[in-house]
Amino acid sequence: MVLESFLSSVLEQTAPLLLAALAAMITQRANILNVAVEGMMLVAAFTAIAVGGATGNIWLAFFAGVLASVLASQLLSIMTLKFNADFVVAGLGINLLAGGATLFMLERLYNSPGGLRPISFPELWHVPAGSLAFLPVIGPVFEGQSIVVLLALLAVPLCWVFLYRTPVGSYLRAAGEDEHAARSAGIRVDRMKALAVTISGLLSGLAGVQLAMDKLQFFLPDMTAGRGFIGLAATLFGGGQPWMTAAAAFLFGIFGALGDRLQAFDIPSQFILMLPYAAALLGLTFARWRTVMRNRPAKITE
Amino acid sequence: MTAFNDFLRAVRAPLGAITLTLLLGFLLVMMITDQPVLAYRDLLLANFDSWSNFGLFLNRAMPLALIAIGITFAFRAGVFNVGGEGQLFAGAITTTMLGVALAGLPPVLLFPIVIIGGIAAGAFLGWIPGVLKVKLGVDEVVVTLMLNTIVLLFTSYLVNQVIRDTAAYGAVSQLVPKEIWLPSLPGVPKASSGILAAVVLAVVSWVVLFRTKWGAELRAAGTNLRYAEAIGIAAGRRVIGAMLVAGGCAGLAGALYVLGIGHRFEQNFSPDYGLVALTCALLARIHPIGALFTALFYALMLNGAAYMQISTDVPRSLVDLLTGLLVLLMTARVVISRRKA
Amino acid sequence: MTDPQNILELSGIAKTFGDKVALKSIDLAVRRGEVHVICGENGAGKSTLMNILVGIHKPSGGQIRFNGQQVQISDPIAASRLGIGMVHQHFTLVPSMSVAENLFLGRHPKKFGLFSDRQAMVDRARALIEAYNFGLDPQAAISSLSVGQRQRVEILKALAFDAELLILDEPTAVLTPPEVEELLKIIATLRERGRTVLFITHKLREVKAVSDRVTVIRHGESVSIHNTADVSEADIARDMVGRDVFLVGRKGDVERSFGDAVLKLNGVTRTNAAGRRLLDAVSLEVRAGEVLGIAGVDGNGQTELAEVIAGLSTMQAGNIWFDGADISDMTVAERQALGLGFVPEDRLDRGISKTMSVAENVAATNYERANILRRGFVSSARLAEFAAEKIKEFDVRGAKPKTPIGTLSGGNMQKVVIARELEREPRLLLVSQPTRGLDIGASEFVYDRILASANAGRGVLLISSELSEIFALSDRIAVIYSGRIMAILDRADADEVTVGALMNGAGKEAA
Repeated sequence: MVLESFLSSVLEQTAPLLLAALAAMITQRANILNVAVEGMMLVAAFTAIAVGGATGNIWLAFFAGVLASVLASQLLSIMTLKFNADFVVAGLGINLLAGGATLFMLERLYNSPGGLRPISFPELWHVPAGSLAFLPVIGPVFEGQSIVVLLALLAVPLCWVFLYRTPVGSYLRAAGEDEHAARSAGIRVDRMKALAVTISGLLSGLAGVQLAMDKLQFFLPDMTAGRGFIGLAATLFGGGQPWMTAAAAFLFGIFGALGDRLQAFDIPSQFILMLPYAAALLGLTFARWRTVMRNRPAKITE
Repeated sequence: MTAFNDFLRAVRAPLGAITLTLLLGFLLVMMITDQPVLAYRDLLLANFDSWSNFGLFLNRAMPLALIAIGITFAFRAGVFNVGGEGQLFAGAITTTMLGVALAGLPPVLLFPIVIIGGIAAGAFLGWIPGVLKVKLGVDEVVVTLMLNTIVLLFTSYLVNQVIRDTAAYGAVSQLVPKEIWLPSLPGVPKASSGILAAVVLAVVSWVVLFRTKWGAELRAAGTNLRYAEAIGIAAGRRVIGAMLVAGGCAGLAGALYVLGIGHRFEQNFSPDYGLVALTCALLARIHPIGALFTALFYALMLNGAAYMQISTDVPRSLVDLLTGLLVLLMTARVVISRRKA
Repeated sequence: MTDPQNILELSGIAKTFGDKVALKSIDLAVRRGEVHVICGENGAGKSTLMNILVGIHKPSGGQIRFNGQQVQISDPIAASRLGIGMVHQHFTLVPSMSVAENLFLGRHPKKFGLFSDRQAMVDRARALIEAYNFGLDPQAAISSLSVGQRQRVEILKALAFDAELLILDEPTAVLTPPEVEELLKIIATLRERGRTVLFITHKLREVKAVSDRVTVIRHGESVSIHNTADVSEADIARDMVGRDVFLVGRKGDVERSFGDAVLKLNGVTRTNAAGRRLLDAVSLEVRAGEVLGIAGVDGNGQTELAEVIAGLSTMQAGNIWFDGADISDMTVAERQALGLGFVPEDRLDRGISKTMSVAENVAATNYERANILRRGFVSSARLAEFAAEKIKEFDVRGAKPKTPIGTLSGGNMQKVVIARELEREPRLLLVSQPTRGLDIGASEFVYDRILASANAGRGVLLISSELSEIFALSDRIAVIYSGRIMAILDRADADEVTVGALMNGAGKEAA
């Protein structure tokens, strides 16, 4: 039982990280360092809670959240691709704007700068308890998980198929790897980048929606708390490959879940919260260190 | 005459971005309140209504200016330092810890110790991403972002569990000894004299960057690392050096905040100074003296927003929103001008 | 008004970028089934013209007729639909993808309307490879192929879509002499099969070897058209430059005496991560007053040789001596202090910082020497003065001290690099590909400075893949192949046939 509940919480912790990581991965493959995942998640989380609280309709809340994130991604893509803004700076701009706009609306519309806690909030679809009882271990782990968690898991193979088995995915990779080659093959590089940013917005939206709607059902300013950046680290850690990126996201998720368990012991909560960030930092450093070591000139053996 | 034209050309783009943002903000304010002019007057001018307001305005500008000046070095060396916030916190907490722990020392000794401690802590946090970038090619944006969160959590632990002032409300530390508090600015009672350090450092930084060989080498490393290596510059050391300066400046900002303004460590003392300072540095087109002025402008808005909120029903978070807009708008400018250059 | 013989006709094609005029007025008529050469100096507008023909740039004026029809070429896909295929000078292949994927990049065959039909790609690629007998594996990743193989993939890419007109942009620049022969044969085959070939080059020998007709362009204008058989290389050269050309050269008949060895390499070996030897036991010496030319096809270790000598990369075995002192473990700065001057092969990569001013670029290593520091601080007046002196002395055109160097032409950037390195009065000048991308005027200037340096008693190590340059300047010629020095010949004993063979690894092994 301990194992199952631990794995279950790993899955829950991982889902938003995984989606954020895939969001950053798609743009990474188009040669864009996307720091805006964080802000797009935040926008989605706020919109989902606001719409869900106002309408009581779960699907309206879900789609409104994702749509808001996609709209934010369009703003990023217009500023960078149309007006030549630097991707990192504009991404930070999106983050600041997301933080500012959500706070502004909390103050202006809800008069509660501390957060938004609808009195009643509709439930996302969850895997019903007992429905997977016939599967040992796996069953209990998945029971009670939200549909977005399942979508997150599904997104990994989908991203892989998209990148490696569809023409557009190939063109997107070509645009990211060698713009000159892509352009001379008639690929519209800017459109590929715009597409990558849009997909990234979609995935970030799912991440934000999961974060706010699944268990918490409320919105706090800055509730994403750097998860978008951890996703970015997972992508760099996984070398932009879907499976490796997913593995890295799970690794960070495990640290998150481990942190929750350790809270039972007498460890200050701050150190536990630190774990995924420290893991991401060390993991990234280790990945680079290995690459550097592998590329060292070989010793001469006579 | 040409110098004046150069100056005009340099400030045109930032001023354009600021104007556009303020205009957009004004439209927004017009939709919210029926006193948009009053709201904007307070946002921009209430800082000059009294000496006390003016003093608070200078206090707000000090950390922004110092961090932004530091970030100028990082950018000029080609490092995208998003770690200002973590470096600032490291400086502030170290100064506080030393001040509280060594309270018995004579002030002449204690003062330099806590200042140097703050600078060193900030510099150390700048050193980490610098070394990782130079030696292993780890992306500094991600590293500094991760470090920010880690440092903030760490200071939260220290201030809550180690040096907390149990008599006070919220996550604040014990006070540092009164003997090492910074004096206020002559004539402006509410203003800490820390702003003077920012002014001096802005000028010194300009000289170092543009009038010394070290600065020229740093800029060469930042604009083309492989070129810098080929002409015999220890390019990696320059990059790390720039990050030490950047972190040191932010650490100093933290130290001076504690000694001059807060007199203790407060976990929520920064309205994201690190990121706003990055904005200031970029808006100033990575120029230390320009960064001083953009920092003053931002401080104006940050404090003005509070006055605006009191006198009208426009929430102060309007400024956060405007900051986001400005960052989005100004980067378009920065990149275009970088390409032309 | 159109000649039905012509497959492609251009009239009055112009192109401006902002206020910069790249093409003034180009007229061109290419007959069906011929091999037509477009010949012009670097910067004459050849690349711009080609990019217009394949739809990467849009012309600012003029007309294009293809097969008698006036056409607008909006993008590379439109060009390939018309039947215009392009083989770029800089390959347009995605390294991580396979040959087949690259052949069909931008136009993957699909299955179920959604997915790439990978099997179809491989099959069609294989059929194409066999049809032209190119000997490639359709599933091999591009990154695993040699330069010659990559070029064949480029050609196939154009042929895959039935290009009637095949444009080859400076295709021989990256090839070994035998690979060039191979390419010329391929071009002959293409002509036999009824394709028209438009061949862009600035190498006069190739013009004579390959073409039926030649159009010369200069400063963005077409200046002449000839039947190749009717003109000499000198005639074409005169059209290209607009005057008679005399590239200075080392006079072989003058008796010369050289000093002691300034630079000496002994068994210098550099490996890559896989253990392959990029430099394999290189031993050579350069004497004071001598130009030692390193001939070789690009990618045979020249880059590594320059970097190892300059101190920019490590070696795994061997020693380097400078004026009798072992400098193997010295930093770049220490070597420069001893008297090493370095003109790197790629100016934009290692030679300059584009966004910094001409003054800061030329002063970069000379602050003390040129007396620019006043009490430790840079005197901006003295900096400008120094830069102005150098701009005048080295004839850097269109530059003021404060001009960002990136706005200058390649030739003028190179002059700044050379000015900076010579200011140090080096004992040895290491120059790598010194005239790459330069027009003839700037090349003459560079040659002049290299020879003057040797005459002033400096040692010169000249690395170049332009054989004519090696022959014009060197006192001795070393040939590098696959990281090895194949032979070191006196200029008097060397001829192009011998050196060409050595460049391909033939001849005596340097065992």
